[in-house]
Amino acid sequence: MIIEVADLTKDFSRPDVRPGRFAGTRSLFTRARKVTRAVDGISFQIDDGELIGFLGPNGAGKSTTIKMLTGILVPTSGTVTVAGQVPWRDRRRNARTIGAVFGQRTQLWYDLPLRNSFEIIRDLYSMDPATYRTRLGEFTELLDLDEFIDTPVRSLSLGQRMRGDLVAAMLYAPRILYLDEPTVGLDVVAKGKIREFVAEINAGRGTTVILTTHDMDDVERLCRRVVIIDHGKILYEGDVGMLKAQYVTSRDVVVHCTDFDATTISSPFAQVVSADTFKATLRFDPEVTAAPKVVHDLTSRYPITDLSLLEPDLEDVIRQLYTERTPVPARGTGA
Amino acid sequence: MPVDTLSTRLTGLRGFYRAGYQSVLAYRADLLFGIVGLVIQATLTVVVWRVLFTGHDQVAGIGSATAVAYAVLAACLQAVVMPWQFSSLPLRVMRGQIGVDMIRPRSLISQNLAQAGGTMVGRLPLGAAGLVTGLALGAVKAPHSVLDLLVSVVSMALGVANILTINLLVSMTAFWTLEIGGIMILYRFGSAFLSGALIPLWFMPEWLQPIISWLPFQAQIYAPLSIWFGTRHGADLVGTLALQLAWVMVLFLLLQLVWRRAVHRVVVLGG
Repeated sequence: MIIEVADLTKDFSRPDVRPGRFAGTRSLFTRARKVTRAVDGISFQIDDGELIGFLGPNGAGKSTTIKMLTGILVPTSGTVTVAGQVPWRDRRRNARTIGAVFGQRTQLWYDLPLRNSFEIIRDLYSMDPATYRTRLGEFTELLDLDEFIDTPVRSLSLGQRMRGDLVAAMLYAPRILYLDEPTVGLDVVAKGKIREFVAEINAGRGTTVILTTHDMDDVERLCRRVVIIDHGKILYEGDVGMLKAQYVTSRDVVVHCTDFDATTISSPFAQVVSADTFKATLRFDPEVTAAPKVVHDLTSRYPITDLSLLEPDLEDVIRQLYTERTPVPARGTGA
Repeated sequence: MPVDTLSTRLTGLRGFYRAGYQSVLAYRADLLFGIVGLVIQATLTVVVWRVLFTGHDQVAGIGSATAVAYAVLAACLQAVVMPWQFSSLPLRVMRGQIGVDMIRPRSLISQNLAQAGGTMVGRLPLGAAGLVTGLALGAVKAPHSVLDLLVSVVSMALGVANILTINLLVSMTAFWTLEIGGIMILYRFGSAFLSGALIPLWFMPEWLQPIISWLPFQAQIYAPLSIWFGTRHGADLVGTLALQLAWVMVLFLLLQLVWRRAVHRVVVLGG
């Protein structure tokens, strides 16, 4: 276990200002405070070398949890151990164990060329020059930094800046990497590059990665296990495949045809959910009938030109989970 | 994993120090305008103070030449150490960047002090331009002896340490109030006046002088310059340096205390 979280809670308090006359002036003098519980007694564990997705809707408490794991925030109660240390108590030692990329903020020096930021980080983590050169060389190649490494950070595009931030977080080879929405606002190519890099440092270098994202493609491509939280509580913790299996009780098959009217199509194993002249969508329950059986039935009885089985969509599952907001018992490989 | 030794600490701080001066040098045009500005400021200072002294040999026991030289040197020092603009801390707290700073392997205090030190070094050309102007106009005179020069350099270093610490201390109020524009204006005015950057303390009313002489601000500019001009001797000189050193230590302790309180108040804004 590299990260252990037990009964973690964080309250925020701010002045409680009631609306009405002179609300602004009263706010200067009020002593009443309003307490909001951002994280409410969550517990989970992360294994060394895991790549875990940490999901939840906006305001669910994800970032607050990550900030407690990184040692930025001090929890109200509960315990966190990261590589054997309490992050906020031994902030400096913890800093050498972790790397972090916060999508909305940068750790690079805004006024300076990217290369200078890397040199500052080299100094900050007392890296020896040879290791620094080798690693920077590898990362430059992996993320195509060559064309903009000497450009001031303020002039970089978001995708370039994010790649720079990833390198800055990984240069000193931390054991754990926190990624807080690393692909937010990026184009498809930039997202792809970043996912490739994250997969590489996890599989190739054994770095434990905690990924916070709203992009289900990130999750599907990178994570095997997820922790989903909402209103500061854990909704689900476990395998991505199992989550889908639990939520997706039906699958869709789409058939295309040119030689007959698709609206006439029917099957004993599946129900037609939509159909027009050239295309029909049928839904079946995979627990009752296996997909090959449905496919065989359709292809043997109709002259079909094309057929596709739709993969269960994680986005739909998550949407359903967020809407229902009831915890799901963990199944699969979850701790 | 490197162990936290003195050498790794210094290397880490070197990184921030570099970030400081490189950030100044990154805006060359700004630096150039600053240099031109200081040449003009030094020239005007000399002209105006000379006019003020017309018809008076001495005011409050201070001769015209000393007063003019003081004004020029104070302007140079002020341009280099500009006490109220160094710390990017309030902005970083407001933008939530502070979270990034807190996961660095050096303390927030040393990061900020090292970077401010770098910024100051980056601004040295401004002070040099003012000094050269003052020398060219025959307004600046060297200290009476090499010893006076050395002691005033030591005193300047203490003054700089004092400025950097107070500046960071004031910036840290951002953890409590976020918007610190008002506090900064007060601090800017107070320190410019009380440090002797605008008017030497010699010219302050007599009832005010003993109060100001115990405050930390006079240690910033007035103390080193009064040593430069040889107005302090023996016990007075030692006392001045001791008071400067004491203030640096007190302020540094205060900084640690405030940071310890602030760390519990950190709310990283915006997700």
